[in-house]
Amino acid sequence: MTLWMHELRLLLRARLSVVALILMAILTAAAVTAGMVEISRQRTAIAAIPAAQSEDIAAVADYVDRTKDAGSAGYYSFHPTWDAPSPLAFAALGMRDVSPYILRVRALGLEAQIYDGDIFNPELALPGRFDFAFVLVFLAPLFVVALFHDLTSGEREAGRLRMLDALPRGGAKLLRRRMLLRIALLWAALAVPFLVAAVASGVGGAAIFAVLAVILAYLLFWTALAALVARLRWSSVANAATLAACWLVLVLVLPTLAHVAINRAVPIGQGAEIALAQREMVNRAWDIPRETTMRRFYAGHPEWADSAPLGSAFHYKWYFAFHQLGDESVATKVRAYRSGLERRDAAARMLGWVLPSVGVQALLTRLADTDVRAQLAYQDRVRAFHARLRNFYYGYLFRDRPFGRVDFGRAPIFAARMNTAGGSNEAADRP
Amino acid sequence: MPDNNGNPIAIHELALAYGNHRVLDGLSLTVPASSITALLGGNGAGKSTTLSALLGFVRADAGQIAVCGIDPGTDADAARRRIAYLPENVALYEHLSAVENADYLLALADQRQDRGTITAALAAAGLQNRAWDQRLGGFSKGMRQKVAIAVALLREVPVLLLDEPTSGLDPRATADFNALLLKVRDRGTAVLMVTHDLLSAADVADRIAFLEQGRIVEDVTATGSERFDIRALHARFQVGVGTRAA
Repeated sequence: MTLWMHELRLLLRARLSVVALILMAILTAAAVTAGMVEISRQRTAIAAIPAAQSEDIAAVADYVDRTKDAGSAGYYSFHPTWDAPSPLAFAALGMRDVSPYILRVRALGLEAQIYDGDIFNPELALPGRFDFAFVLVFLAPLFVVALFHDLTSGEREAGRLRMLDALPRGGAKLLRRRMLLRIALLWAALAVPFLVAAVASGVGGAAIFAVLAVILAYLLFWTALAALVARLRWSSVANAATLAACWLVLVLVLPTLAHVAINRAVPIGQGAEIALAQREMVNRAWDIPRETTMRRFYAGHPEWADSAPLGSAFHYKWYFAFHQLGDESVATKVRAYRSGLERRDAAARMLGWVLPSVGVQALLTRLADTDVRAQLAYQDRVRAFHARLRNFYYGYLFRDRPFGRVDFGRAPIFAARMNTAGGSNEAADRP
Repeated sequence: MPDNNGNPIAIHELALAYGNHRVLDGLSLTVPASSITALLGGNGAGKSTTLSALLGFVRADAGQIAVCGIDPGTDADAARRRIAYLPENVALYEHLSAVENADYLLALADQRQDRGTITAALAAAGLQNRAWDQRLGGFSKGMRQKVAIAVALLREVPVLLLDEPTSGLDPRATADFNALLLKVRDRGTAVLMVTHDLLSAADVADRIAFLEQGRIVEDVTATGSERFDIRALHARFQVGVGTRAA
């Protein structure tokens, strides 16, 4: 029997260690299962889009086909956009549990549509979901504390340390071996359930390797901390209390304080404020002479300036024009809001270099494409799609072309993103 | 390399201090092969520090120390390969059996043995065969010591260091242990035991050295059938302890 097998037998005979390792594996399995269920639910919702969309468009098309009015078509038609989860999203749900991943947009003012759904669910936003990232960042350090706090002090308290130190392969070598074995087993308790879920989800090899490396690095940080505390030669109880305090400070207190500090240093309003400002602008347009609105619109969009002048009757091109002007009136606010989000995100990433818990969380959500950056990228795709949608309807509205049932088939369709985060998900992007 | 003149344990003018507190002060001691030396002294006389220096846990400030010609201060691993050490309270792994404990400790010493050899050694150490595969949770100190001695026997090292080996043992267990120690000695091992137990030391040791304030103040060798003058030794021991206490 090799020395490693001896150590393994010794470890497995200690009930507390076995319970800790099994519990770690169960929690990890539960977390990846919960993540996969949530992502499966999101995929199912995305997959249901085409059928629902066909029903919606059919209902609108019946009416529009009678009137041939492109304005009605643009006003009543919702067009779905979606942010398909990456294969790795199950491991770190990130922003996906608090921000919308399906957004049905109309060709009207976009900003109010985007920021209507910007209010996070506070119940979810505060603690986050029970996913793999949560287990790794918040719970795994506690298991490191359980398995490592008495590695040296336990031997000293049992009266064995001196005898072990006196053996040729005892002492520091023995403790290093035990540390490595515990790290390996803890790593396996985290990695094996993740690996099974990742393979089942079709995660790419590079992403899997990266996550496995992140797990190892995070465990090494905490074991190094445990080894550092062990050097103080305190009792096992004192070691456990010290490490628990470190956990509290490094995982909960400092990240929270840093979060508050970042928010104060980079103040940004609520997205809902943008939606409100855009709505007010749109509502105000009803009190402005229509010609004034059209003049402003044509100044910014000369490609439509040769459109026939408005008559006395209501025309949707005026309605769509002031909606677009409403969007443009809040463009500065939108840029500032986005820039604020990006600066906060960058600050949080910088913090990750100092606080491993924050760094690991940021790294996992980046790998899983579920972070703020991914959320903003989805917004970019929605904006690009909305611009195409506007152009499509404007082609009918400003040229007074009739819009029939067949024209719905010519409407732009939200393009699937070319997402390579966490592996290929082209199939997942196709609802 | 220190000159040991063939003695497995050779200490010459060893000095060692913890900060300002001088613990060993010119200690000289040799333990030849096939002999048992008992080092007696009161608390703080330097007994445990002597063992620590032999095991390479502490480095001497001055003087020479050698285990089979190896300075444990410079090559502790090599020295430890030649030493079996039994601490005062032999604490082994309670969730392993006697055989498993021996197997594990031998693996740590890089001297693996098969089960048959291990059980033979346990038997030689006086551990009843029904206890071989029992977990150590319910073992007495004497039984645990037998396991540790069996490991020492199996390692066949030239040096055995014992720290208060008979403290807490009943007279029968002490007699058993001493008998075992003689077996170990007769295999050629140099045994150094530090102890408070004068009677046990007188019973088994070939030589008794009194340690006071970090140096040997008296060295008595067993002679004749009576071996030692217990009364004289006791009187000497009382003086040493009293001096230290004062």
